[in-house]
Amino acid sequence: MNNKQFLTELSGKCQMSADQAAEKVQTLMEVLEKIWQDGDSVSLSGFGVLEVKKKNERVSVNPTTGVRMLVPPKLVLTYKPSTILKDKLK
Amino acid sequence: MDKKINLSQLADLMSQAGGMSKAASEQFVKNFFDIISQKVLTDGLVKVKGLGTFKLIQMEDRESVNVNTGERFTIEGHQKISFTPDVELKERVNKPFAAFETVEISAEQADKLAQMEKEPVAAESIVQDESQTVTAEPEKESANDAKPVVKEVTQRRGVRFLLKFIVWILSILLVLVIALYLFWPLIGNRVLERVERNIQIRDKQELVVPQGSPVNVQPADEQPVKEQPVKEIESAEVEQETAEPEIPEPVVTEPAVTEPVVTQPVIKPQTETGETKPAVTLDVRLNSKDAAKDLTEFTEADTVNFAMTGELTVHTLKKGETITRLALRYYGTKKLWPYIVKYNNIKDAGKLQEGARIRIPVLKAK
Repeated sequence: MNNKQFLTELSGKCQMSADQAAEKVQTLMEVLEKIWQDGDSVSLSGFGVLEVKKKNERVSVNPTTGVRMLVPPKLVLTYKPSTILKDKLK
Repeated sequence: MDKKINLSQLADLMSQAGGMSKAASEQFVKNFFDIISQKVLTDGLVKVKGLGTFKLIQMEDRESVNVNTGERFTIEGHQKISFTPDVELKERVNKPFAAFETVEISAEQADKLAQMEKEPVAAESIVQDESQTVTAEPEKESANDAKPVVKEVTQRRGVRFLLKFIVWILSILLVLVIALYLFWPLIGNRVLERVERNIQIRDKQELVVPQGSPVNVQPADEQPVKEQPVKEIESAEVEQETAEPEIPEPVVTEPAVTEPVVTQPVIKPQTETGETKPAVTLDVRLNSKDAAKDLTEFTEADTVNFAMTGELTVHTLKKGETITRLALRYYGTKKLWPYIVKYNNIKDAGKLQEGARIRIPVLKAK
């Protein structure tokens, strides 16, 4: 399901035009980004948790050349599905 | 910071931002995530522009070992939902660390790094204790700093040993004085004579000592005389100890490492101060006491070579802000605070007043 299909589905459910839905998604993204930049996590029942985690720096080795690389620390957005959603998978 | 935002809070924020009613935005957010979780199960893939891709992936069977019993067993293949954030979003989330790059390092340096991780070095553990931040700590510098840190630690150990020694001597002296006082009657006679002589030698008019009481006069006289010099030494010692780390010298004499290991974070003048804040600084609010501790115990080994080229901005100190916090804000790492201290000639960073004007230097990697 690509973005376009997603927007059509969303607009159908919320009774608005696809353009409106796209706009709303845009604002939602801005809000979410602000939340993540503050270091908060978004937790929604039935969906899961979207949160920013810090990954420590590490030394990685290229297995073919044996060159060691120091990979810098980074902040990564992670998603953990809720148990409800996980149960549905089975 | 570190809050969990739930649906209604998210809807609240959304209605504030988008001019939607709260109920409508709650409905919208709910639908938004409902569709994702439904469609990822049915279609196996949901792409949302601006957020990322949710994908259903198949995990193969694999063998594992029960940690308690050592038994081998297979973890059955199952399906898992993976999430890959949008590239743009990923970059924006990682903004505080954006300055870092992957670097090639030699095997020797890699070993050193691994060692550093194993043995907790005093300075670094302090950083971790002092506030449980998930902040930008470019610990990459550690490879360069291995030697100075070790030196610093041994130095500190020496000072501690000296201090212990002095305290020990002092306590022995105290015991001696007390013993003298308690066993006065035994040796009293001899000392009594001495006291009388002393008094005669001194000004005769000074004190008419009653015959019984020289006993008391003597220890009172001797005690301070004996103890003072020792005390002075001790306090001097203590002063030295505290004074040393208070004058942070950011320029570290580098051990002979041929290759520069570290990518220095390139410090750009950041105009939008609101955005410069690292995303996950969780608890940077140190009180001044913490800051003082931080400053006195921090070693110079934690800084790397930077040159101060000109002035980035002037910052007016607000309540609760510390030099380390400014460093975090403008450079993305607390470890560069000594440059601010040096640039401003700050004597005691723990005693800064609210409203003080702090000049922030531009740092350039040497």
